[in-house]
This record gives sequence, C-alpha cells and structure tokens, in this order.
Amino acid sequence: MNEWLEQLVPRHEERGDWDDVLRRARRLPRRRLVLVVAFAVAALAGGPALGVMLTRDRGPQLPPEADHSRVSVLIQPVSGRILLKAAPWKSHDGFCYAAFFAFSGRPAGCVARTPRGAAFLSPLAGYTFDSRVVSARATLVSGRHASILVRRLPGLSVTFFYSRSRLPMLLSRVELRDAGTNTLRTLRYRR
Amino acid sequence: MVDELEALYRAKLPEFRRVATAIAGDRDLGCDAVQEAFATAVRKRRSFRGDGTLEAWVWRIVVNAARDARRRRPAPAEPAETRTNGHAPVVPLDLLTERQREIVFLHYYADLDYAAIAEALAISPGTVGATLNAARATLRQALEEVRT
Repeated sequence: MNEWLEQLVPRHEERGDWDDVLRRARRLPRRRLVLVVAFAVAALAGGPALGVMLTRDRGPQLPPEADHSRVSVLIQPVSGRILLKAAPWKSHDGFCYAAFFAFSGRPAGCVARTPRGAAFLSPLAGYTFDSRVVSARATLVSGRHASILVRRLPGLSVTFFYSRSRLPMLLSRVELRDAGTNTLRTLRYRR
Repeated sequence: MVDELEALYRAKLPEFRRVATAIAGDRDLGCDAVQEAFATAVRKRRSFRGDGTLEAWVWRIVVNAARDARRRRPAPAEPAETRTNGHAPVVPLDLLTERQREIVFLHYYADLDYAAIAEALAISPGTVGATLNAARATLRQALEEVRT
C-alpha cells in the first residue's frame, strides 16, 4: 500500500515562492472584494434614491394654481418642523398655501386678497393681509397667554403668524396688533 | 509570526504540496492551494490563538484550501475507475470517504501523527485512528482485487 501511495502522488522538491505568498496576502480576498464592490455600487445607486426618499416632502402640496417658482416656507423654530408653504396665486391677487398639521379644514388652497382678510390656516398658523400687523398675542384654552411669531413675506404681501412652541393646538384666539400694541383684530380658532 | 510561517513554508513545502495535490486531485491546483493557504495564514495570523501548534493551524488552512480547489475543479472526462490523478495506474480512492482520504494523505504524505492530524482536521485522535484503520483495510482489499 505504501508503494502504491508513493506512486499516486510523487514527492516534488521544487522550490517555493514565498514572495508570491506575500503578494497574495496583500491582495484583497475575493469574497471581501465582492462585498466592497457591491457596497460601492449600492452606495452609488441607492444613495441618491435613499436621499430622495428621506427628504421627500410627504406633507400637503401646494395647489397647481400656485407659482411654484416662488415658494416660501415657515418653519417652527423650536421643533424645526415646516408649518406652512406659501406661494403667489398665479393670475390672481392673493396667495396659495399648504398647511401642515391642519387636522381639520383644508390643508391646501388659495386665498384672494381682501383689505383686512385674516384667518387661521391650521391650529398652528394663520395669515392676515393687514400690513399694520407687527405682533400678536395668543390666548390658550386654559386662559393663559402665549407669544407667537409674526412674519411678513414681502414677496407675497402677506403677514403670517405662527406658533413658537409645540403646544399651539390649545390656541383659543389670537389678537393681531399694530406697532403701538393696539389690537387690530381678534381671531378665534374654530375646531 | 510571518517569519515562523515562512520557516514552516520553506521546511515543509513538499509535504504541503503533496497533500494538497492529493486532496485537490491535480498538481497545479494543489500547489496553488498551498500558496493561497499560506497567504490566508499570513493575512489571518492574528486569529491564531495558540491553542495548538502553528503547524496544525496551517495544515487546517491548507486542507480547506485544497478542498475548495477540488470543488472548483472541472469534472474529469474519463470514468472514475480509470482515473489516475496523472501519477499512478488504477486508483481505488473512490472507495474511501473524503475524511478517510484526507487522513490517509496527512498520515502518509505529511508523516503527521494521530494528534497532529486530529488537530488539523478538528476531530479527536481516536477518530483519526479508527478512520485510518478502516481506510487501510479498504485500500488493502481494493489493491488485492486490482492485482488479481
């Protein structure tokens, strides 16, 4: 049997090539190479798609009548949430909006300009065409007062008021005031 | 560690190549498997925990590389009965299991004792002895039949 095994695979005394071993050791293993390439391809192909998916605006959209080239966005400072998108109303004097967190009523629409027009667009934000309004005071359902932000968008000639904190759903009413802190109008939020 | 691997490579290369050739069923594949196995050993040297000997650890890598090479090898065109591995006349190796063949090769071509074979194949020395005896019996009987 030993003789047969000797003949089966003869012994070879050829010299080895240790440098070849070291070269192979430095080379990336095939399986890992495949993983690296697959990851790179996935990152290149899937990255942008994932970015689009993650940053996709899933909130209400502005109506088609809006001028989408001039969109303004109101962001709640505390939470960083988008509260409202607004844009001029094409071929009309007014503006179109898309209100986030509009739990009742219309989340999107267009408003024609009237000299003293003002209303809530959502429990968190509203508008007025009255250019005299520079500040506002909100009253909560509990009777407490809370300050809210007022910002005029010159491109739209509309003044928006919107909540600063996360609890504006308890808004009961908003007093719109001029520079002399005179109340010009009081809006009540109807749920 | 790399120096120790290089020393082992230079000292026992003929044995490594012979066993790898026998397992892979082809001399070129066997030699290539040894090169790949030592490259793997160099790359993964930090995973050697020192539980056993360095040589046994390398033998295990060589055996695995040779098995992989055999699996990648294209199927032989001639019938199994006339297969010669390119070195010898009629071979009754097909009568042995894969484990029997590997133990026979490691014992006869590398001159490893039961403990070293057990370490290289991750089995017990008792299993090595029993398997080797069974393989010897099978081979002797097959060789007798070939002669007659």
